[in-house]
Amino acid sequence: MTRQSLSQKLTGNRVWKSIFRVPNTGNDENRARIIAESFFWHIHPVKVKTHSLKITYTWGLGVISFFLFLLLTFTGIWLMFFYTPSVDTAYQNISELETRVNYGILIRTMHRWGAHLMVLAVFLHLCRVFFTGSYKRPREFNWVVGVLLWLITLLLSFTGYLLPWDQLSYWAVTVGTNIAASIPVIGEQLRVLVLGSKEIGQDTLTRFYALHVMVLPVVMSILIGVHFWRIRKDGGLSSPMEQEEDVNGGER
Amino acid sequence: MSPEPREVFPKDTKKTYGLMALVKGTSPMVEKGPEDTVMSWPNLLVMEALAMLGTGVLLLAGSILVSAPLREMANPDVTENPAKAPWYFLNLQELLMHMHPALAGVVIPGIVILLIMMIPYFDRSKKDIGVWFASPKGRKIALVSTMYTLILIPATIIFDEFVRVRSLLNKPEIFPGWIIPIGVTGGLIVVLYAIILFWRPNRREVLVGLFTGFVVTYFLLILSGTLFRGMGMRLTLPWDLPPGALTF
Repeated sequence: MTRQSLSQKLTGNRVWKSIFRVPNTGNDENRARIIAESFFWHIHPVKVKTHSLKITYTWGLGVISFFLFLLLTFTGIWLMFFYTPSVDTAYQNISELETRVNYGILIRTMHRWGAHLMVLAVFLHLCRVFFTGSYKRPREFNWVVGVLLWLITLLLSFTGYLLPWDQLSYWAVTVGTNIAASIPVIGEQLRVLVLGSKEIGQDTLTRFYALHVMVLPVVMSILIGVHFWRIRKDGGLSSPMEQEEDVNGGER
Repeated sequence: MSPEPREVFPKDTKKTYGLMALVKGTSPMVEKGPEDTVMSWPNLLVMEALAMLGTGVLLLAGSILVSAPLREMANPDVTENPAKAPWYFLNLQELLMHMHPALAGVVIPGIVILLIMMIPYFDRSKKDIGVWFASPKGRKIALVSTMYTLILIPATIIFDEFVRVRSLLNKPEIFPGWIIPIGVTGGLIVVLYAIILFWRPNRREVLVGLFTGFVVTYFLLILSGTLFRGMGMRLTLPWDLPPGALTF
């Protein structure tokens, strides 16, 4: 029996091979199969345009936004372990992260800064797509999905804002929801619908919590799935290779 | 009655049975230039991993340096001054100070979002897809639009803060609340449009100019609401902001 190197032992056994079905042996056929015979086939083709790897074209903003969504999901679930959405305990739960939970403050901080960063990254991604004309045929509807994802990002951030139940949360949400109340005729009812009562209180916290940890993340996950699937089906990222002289009258 | 036995077709040893589907159209490279592609593994996947890793490391470092704030427990009897929305809604809160709340908080954002969603259905040309700012002309238009917005939005805010539209005309309420703000906002857009037309742009270049105006306004109003609004949401210089005026 020949001696095997550590990496051979690691990648040569049945368990490894059951997970990574195609060995990474460095020829293009295997490189193709690594994508085509794995999960990545759902979101990536075997080959991509060199143009779509240009950093100055995408700035990686879509990937960064998605990564932040994942990071927020994991840190968010972790925060749920230590949090009860009750006006009596919520604030205490959060302040006790500092004293009673290992790395409590750090994880909460990453959740918060990560959320701010995601709001920024998603908006910049939207700007990138606009300024490179990437919303054009056949990607029209994926642009609409993207705009919806941007709005859901804002709502996710806003609903999360209330949960620490401190003065910043309380008054920010007061200001935010007062805008809804200004709509003629239905405004007041709309505010009650959002807050769960006339004033911000337990009902509001319950609603915002349910929206923040359940409803909005689920809606967002579904839309992200559609968004990615459409990118794949529309031939990956846009590039100048797709330019056509006008057929549909873009000229004034 | 027993079910009829189903016929089983024997395997033909000469066939591979490997063809899974026929698709419409030609292969992706027909009528395209020389192939300009690379393997997704490792090129794309490694770049994606690096982008994620970089973001994660930066976020971790930032979070170690500055912790998330936690103020006093929520108290409906003690109003925060200034009472601000989260930073990404401060552009709406800034608008709120100049017009009827329904116009600032519902009508304008609603129209803007609808218009943004409609962009691809309005601009259907594929002439300049994949090119930043569409063309050199588009680049110039974006620059002019940026400068126009950078000057006029702060000027409008400062005018309304120190001269106050309401002090000039406050009755009936529909004037300072609706008609004047719509007139000013609409006027700013129409003038920008007229300036853009000066370059004889195509539809996409017009959109680049208008969207640039939107993006710059979006960030300017956030900046104004975040860094320049102090006690009672009065205009203040950033270094004179009261403690607690930053809503991160």
